[in-house]
Amino acid sequence: MRRLQLDPITRKRIERFRRIKRGYYSLVILAVAMLLSIFAPYLAESRALLVWYEGRAYFPTFQYYEMDVFGQEPPAAWGMGDLETEYLRLQREWRVERHFFERERAEVGDDPDAVAELERRYPNRRNFVIMPAIPWDPYESDFWYNEILNDIQLVLDEGDDARAEMIARRDGLAELADAIHTGEIHELVADVEASPTGDLLGLARSGVMPSLAGLGEVPPTPPDFARRHYLGTDSQGRDVASRLFYGFRISIFFALFLVFFGQIIGTIVGSLQGYLGGRFDILSQRVLEVLIAIPFLYVVIIMAALFAPTFWMLLGIMAIFQWISITFYMRTEMYREKTREYCLAARSYGASHLRIIFRHLLPNSLTPLVTFTPFAVVGAVFALTGLDYLGYGMPPPTPSWGELIDQALMPENRDKLWLTLAPFGAITITLVLVVFIGESVREAFDPKQYARYE
Amino acid sequence: MNKWIPIGAVLGLLLLAGVLVTPIPGWLGGSGEEEAGTAGSVATAEAVEPAEATSPAEVDPAEGGDDVRASTEVTLPEDLDWETNYDDPPIGSPDAIRGGTFNYSIGQYPMTFRLMGPNSNDAFAGWNRAFTMSFGLVGRHPVTDNYIPRMATHWAIEEDQRTLYFQLDPDARWSDGTPITADDFVFTWLMMQSEHIVDPFYNNYAEQFYESVDRIDDHTLRIVGTRPSWRPLSDYGGIWPTPEHATVLDEDWVTRTNNQWQVAVGPYVVSNVSRGESVTLDRIDDWWGDGKHYFQGMYNFDRIHLRVIPLERNLDYLRRGEIDLIAENTARAWNEDYTFPAVQNGWIRRARVFVDTPSGVYGLHMNLEAPIFQNEDFRKAMHHLFNFDRLNRNLMFDEYFRQVSFFEGTEYANPDIQPRAFNPSLAREYLERAGYRRPEHIRGRNVAQNVANAVRGLLFTRSDTDDVLVNERGEKASFTVIYGSAGLTRHLTVMQQEYRRAGVDMRLRLLEPGTAFERGLERKYEMTVTARTAGFFPSPRQYLHTDFKEAVNNNNIWGFGTSEVDELIEIYEQDLDFEARLEAMHRIDEIVHEEAFYIPFWRAPFIWLAHWDYLRFPEFYLPKRTQQVTDYLVFWIDPERREALEEAMRTGEAFPVDDDLDVDYYGILEGFE
Repeated sequence: MRRLQLDPITRKRIERFRRIKRGYYSLVILAVAMLLSIFAPYLAESRALLVWYEGRAYFPTFQYYEMDVFGQEPPAAWGMGDLETEYLRLQREWRVERHFFERERAEVGDDPDAVAELERRYPNRRNFVIMPAIPWDPYESDFWYNEILNDIQLVLDEGDDARAEMIARRDGLAELADAIHTGEIHELVADVEASPTGDLLGLARSGVMPSLAGLGEVPPTPPDFARRHYLGTDSQGRDVASRLFYGFRISIFFALFLVFFGQIIGTIVGSLQGYLGGRFDILSQRVLEVLIAIPFLYVVIIMAALFAPTFWMLLGIMAIFQWISITFYMRTEMYREKTREYCLAARSYGASHLRIIFRHLLPNSLTPLVTFTPFAVVGAVFALTGLDYLGYGMPPPTPSWGELIDQALMPENRDKLWLTLAPFGAITITLVLVVFIGESVREAFDPKQYARYE
Repeated sequence: MNKWIPIGAVLGLLLLAGVLVTPIPGWLGGSGEEEAGTAGSVATAEAVEPAEATSPAEVDPAEGGDDVRASTEVTLPEDLDWETNYDDPPIGSPDAIRGGTFNYSIGQYPMTFRLMGPNSNDAFAGWNRAFTMSFGLVGRHPVTDNYIPRMATHWAIEEDQRTLYFQLDPDARWSDGTPITADDFVFTWLMMQSEHIVDPFYNNYAEQFYESVDRIDDHTLRIVGTRPSWRPLSDYGGIWPTPEHATVLDEDWVTRTNNQWQVAVGPYVVSNVSRGESVTLDRIDDWWGDGKHYFQGMYNFDRIHLRVIPLERNLDYLRRGEIDLIAENTARAWNEDYTFPAVQNGWIRRARVFVDTPSGVYGLHMNLEAPIFQNEDFRKAMHHLFNFDRLNRNLMFDEYFRQVSFFEGTEYANPDIQPRAFNPSLAREYLERAGYRRPEHIRGRNVAQNVANAVRGLLFTRSDTDDVLVNERGEKASFTVIYGSAGLTRHLTVMQQEYRRAGVDMRLRLLEPGTAFERGLERKYEMTVTARTAGFFPSPRQYLHTDFKEAVNNNNIWGFGTSEVDELIEIYEQDLDFEARLEAMHRIDEIVHEEAFYIPFWRAPFIWLAHWDYLRFPEFYLPKRTQQVTDYLVFWIDPERREALEEAMRTGEAFPVDDDLDVDYYGILEGFE
């Protein structure tokens, strides 16, 4: 069990790190965010966490449920019941039933027949749906803003006011729903002042019904809490918050994998170079110089043009170049450490080379590894984002920060502030956190903390 | 990442060092040499064999090559049946007013003023052609599609359908006053064959199309095509004159004439250029074409000032009044950017002018060699899942129109074909007929599967590849779309969602455009998006003939071919009766629709115009076959309205504004409903 006991120096370093609040809290925040992002399908997803339907619980995250299961009507154009349930819509539909039931329950008073009739008419009032915090998956296009008024208009034109009210109320258009309920809507639409074009769209444009402003617009649409697009939508109507979250998940794990493998390889090679020295060092150093002279971004771009890049392929290509820089530091550390007395002592006891490197020298040369790693993570996140921005990263429609930035920087989106702020904010915060951690680690590991320079 | 810049710098320095110490090898100077193009090669050629100082008359362009066919003396047959056509209406409007300066933009400064040779197909070529190549022997009327006189007043076609005779307009003059004669046309043909023009396209064109171009007398010409054609005037009558008296065709020609405006046949000559910034064209006062029937109402401006303006800044220049007209090119800009006061006040007018031009083949293509697309029902299901209206409404501002025919925008399009409507239930029926169903296991209550799903949900972003339809052999309804245009990603990802919902897994793969195009030609794809442009006469053979079915690297990207279509193509290419050809082409169109290997996308059968109020257009705005707004120059500047506008802008007075922007003089919109 010796391994679990941290040696005093390490313990001291950890203590020192915890005392540097900035770095410590950054680490906590980042760790929590990463942990959360592992559970992304339960936090940002269009499938409900739980559906309570007629006395039974359903867990759609784990299983596919068709619309028929919950008696949900398919969208107008589709006309088939084996589509996957639209859970957010289901949640809203059931809420509206509850609302209608309560409203009419108050009207009918205590008449048991009427109450029974109401209960028969609104069977779903007791069912409910629990949605994830962000009820959108990162792929789904939401064209609601552009389509909803047309949809309601169609139902109104058919003369089905009750259904029109249901749709309006379901989608949180309370003002419109009230107007339909009172029948006032028909006068409003007929009024040329209120609606120059004689339909709901005209009503939205003229500003008579302020809560309709912004409808009839194509994406990107601004943040809207009622619709639960907390950071708005992108140019295809996809939820920015959801894409940001999944983008974080992909890029941070990409970076961690990359840095993990890269640093291990780099450490081994660098250690061997430094420890063995001589001809091996000279030859391998030349090989590394050749490798490092290859501009890796171009290689990735060329590869991406030839093959469709995937997560693992990009990881593989970038790992080829990632490990090199750390070898230089490990090499010099080894050169220095191997001349120390404790190394000679170990050798005189007959310890094997590998044992000397990994048991004795390596623990004493960890400082560059530990201090450079956070910055390598930053670099890797940046690299993936950059590749995605240039269009050589993950294939569409993979959610990614680079792709969001690309959208944000398009000339026609320059006034869509949410598109710009979201990815840039996310990058800035993540990178600041990682840099804080890195700084603190470096400070904690700095052996010269109390050194005086005279 | 942080290692980046130093490494780049080191690499750069090393390269630089390499350049400094070694004599520049060919591969290093490669791109530069290409750029300067012929400059280098001409210089060496000159050193070896100095060009003689020859007077134009002594130049024999045929010198350039060995296999150049020379012109011969011929005599006119006796009993020719001369035709002409002065019965169609003039192209322009009788209301047009001569005068004024028209300010317009070009995207880039002309790389050359030549009509042939390197770079002669750049952005300026449209203007260049309008004033030179538009003056072929005969043209097609842009509204009636009939042949009309241009440089020739009369023409005659021999029974072999490849020998043509033309009587040239005796009034025709070059911009320097020299009469235009048959020799100038012969010279064009000889020049096309010359090696000195460094233009394989024209070398090839001259060889493929013309057996000979011969002078009979000063104003009579004979052209013999290489093969009989049912459209000899289109194939062989488009040749334009080149001023022989002002052309010295030698090794130096390409570089010497690069920035030199040629003696023109059209109404405008370059009067001033400001390198990289602008080109000014001036009207010839007593142009020979003034008063000719078909030129009435065209070429109204005294001066045309073309400024080099990047595409995205055009609107700024229009707002400032520095250009008079723009043709908008994105639906978003057209719908969102024209909200400024000058538009609201009616000082700047807008119109969406409907025109009818061939739009080519553009859409999703299915490879008939891919196992999944060998089933016709499956292909039809793909059609019924294509929700064009949703894309159009939400991504394209409802501006575009669905393409239907394989010969869209030509007279051969079959008007009876209806696009397959978005209908997922029907699509599902087709899919079931093709053997694809929702997998049973997604309905199961198997604990192990649920746990597996949950774990998968943690590892990957989607936990539900399970609901994709499968057939009895357990194969998923899944395929990959290869495409090369990043701009289409938006549309395709929305489509992908819809296909997905119906249980079809469409994977997207964006490749570099050239690679994607090649993969199509090599038939190495399952589904792909490509576009092919088309002329006014469709050429179905290269697309649909069985000759190209087995072989790859051709335009038959689907691997399609049946003997019936082969026969129909023969009819189209051989039959001299228009009705028979029409019937054959309609049948081909129908077969392509039935076979369902091509899902046509959308087209923009219109031009978005925004112009200052004083720029006036005829009632019809633009001729029906207009491809670029400046093709026919039928608009003009009205000085009275210009004064009225200046007055209105001073006082802030608004002009009446018509909200209906659509101009559909030719009833093109009807065809889409």
